[in-house]
Amino acid sequence: MSWALFWLVVFVAAFSAFTLISLVIAVRGVAEIRELFTALDEERRRKKP
Amino acid sequence: MSAAIVSPFSLLDLAIAALSLVATLWIGLRVKRYIGTIEDYLVANRGMGLYVGAASLLSTEVGIITYMYQAQFGFVAGFSAFVTGLITLAVCLFVGRTGFVITRLREMQILTVPEYFEKRYGRGVRVLAGVLMALGGSLNLGIFPIIEARFLGVVTGIPSEYLGWTMAALLLVALAYTALGGMVSLIVTNYVQYVFLAAGTLIVTLVCLREVGWGGMVSAVEGHMGGHGMNPIEDLGVGFILWQILLWIALMTVWQSVAMRTFSTKDAAVGKKMFTLTGFLFLGRALIPMAWGIAALAFFWGRSVPVLAPSAPTRSAQIEALDRALGETFRRDLDEGRLERALPQLDLLEQLAREEKAQDPKAARFEDSAREKRSEMGLLAMPWMLAATLPSGLLGLVVAGMLAASISTYAGYFLGWSSIIAQDIVAPLARKELTSAARLRLTRVTVVGLTVFIMIWSLVYDLPGPAYFYLQVTANLFMAPTLIVVVGGLYWRRASETGAVLSFLLGAVTSLTYLVPQLQLDVATAGNLSWALAVAGFVVGSLLFPQRARA
Repeated sequence: MSWALFWLVVFVAAFSAFTLISLVIAVRGVAEIRELFTALDEERRRKKP
Repeated sequence: MSAAIVSPFSLLDLAIAALSLVATLWIGLRVKRYIGTIEDYLVANRGMGLYVGAASLLSTEVGIITYMYQAQFGFVAGFSAFVTGLITLAVCLFVGRTGFVITRLREMQILTVPEYFEKRYGRGVRVLAGVLMALGGSLNLGIFPIIEARFLGVVTGIPSEYLGWTMAALLLVALAYTALGGMVSLIVTNYVQYVFLAAGTLIVTLVCLREVGWGGMVSAVEGHMGGHGMNPIEDLGVGFILWQILLWIALMTVWQSVAMRTFSTKDAAVGKKMFTLTGFLFLGRALIPMAWGIAALAFFWGRSVPVLAPSAPTRSAQIEALDRALGETFRRDLDEGRLERALPQLDLLEQLAREEKAQDPKAARFEDSAREKRSEMGLLAMPWMLAATLPSGLLGLVVAGMLAASISTYAGYFLGWSSIIAQDIVAPLARKELTSAARLRLTRVTVVGLTVFIMIWSLVYDLPGPAYFYLQVTANLFMAPTLIVVVGGLYWRRASETGAVLSFLLGAVTSLTYLVPQLQLDVATAGNLSWALAVAGFVVGSLLFPQRARA
């Protein structure tokens, strides 16, 4: 395999992975942020006298 | 006759970019109400999930400056530069699979890396590490506005007299929500910023591929790098690759802004998964902007016209005449985006000087001069290509993505370095134990102080050489000894306080040898030497002066 072909394969893999993972983060991140707020709210209520 | 590039940045683009900033600020300020304790502030009460963790980690470690120096690396080293992306991926997968260092640190429930040093070695090591980290980190961050202002100047066409104010406004946005909302604000804004950043990254990559195509990039590297640009072992050397592996292991485990994300995860298992997932994003973080740099090379080569050597009686005289001509036009060409005019001149100068130096060693300085100019051009080639190719509207989206990347980096680093100053320097030196509320106030005040320092530093400091060089020096001040002392402390029972102190001092001093031109150490040699001496100091110090039992 030539260097040019090798770098093409690596670049396509990197670009595809970046695109795919970014989409997954964009979709699933919202639910995680909601969970974080809920947990912080509960923690705050628990600490209140 | 080549024409100057004029950015098509319009009111529409300005509105898109401004709207993204306002939205970020609004979201960042809204979550302030969740902050009650220093744990909420610094590590979001350790409640960060996998996907927002990955977004937060990448947003923090990708700024405009990252895009610029990666593109510059691609511009000057071609595809060989890609090897650093593969190293990053390998390191992330290794850390993610094994939990090397991060699992043990996460389980200790600490807030900063130097906090571990006090537990393992003593308060003196914590403060020494804190001072070196704060110094190196602040100086590192201090040049971000200088470099990023150049990007914004080119891409948006903002006159240079307003760039300082633009950067100050960006820093203030980051300051406002970081100081008030800490890590909770960061996690939420980083998520939004990641979406902008990813969109901008995808747009630019597609535009690059449309403008020059992969074939054009390969042709540019093969045709204009004198046989280099493909094989990283030949081009960059084994020493450079080894040093990059060590540096990336350190960055992924003990670099404060990265470590804070590890400490903020729900548990060690989420931390490990986050690194595995982020590894592929970090691969893109390196390769994608490097490809932009190569695309910029292809773009400007495609527009250039070959130049002939000036007529002169000897080869040396030709070289001198060419260097003089280049000196007269280079700066203006760079400032106006006429890179297609300067590039062939640089290429010819470098080629003639390389051929001549066998007969006349003095010619080597012209080769060095051409390389320095090429490096400087590499920093601005990508922004100029964007200004020349992106239409209005799309440009606003890309600038919004870049601003998001930039502000998230400032915010993450503000919190990272100020937490070190407050938690590991001021608090340990205070005569009495500080309450959680006092530590929270102290960290907020430090965030403000750090922002003021960076604003002043970026206004008064004149960068002595390439940005990449400066960034390496300041990071190396503490990276090598920090990893060695952490790993030694975790996995070697005989590790001692004296060994840790020696490691920090030797590692830091050796890094500074970059700045001594008389020593003529290249980046890789000085970097590897810094690691070697930090290890030697740690081992010898620990063996000769074992750790005394602590009261």
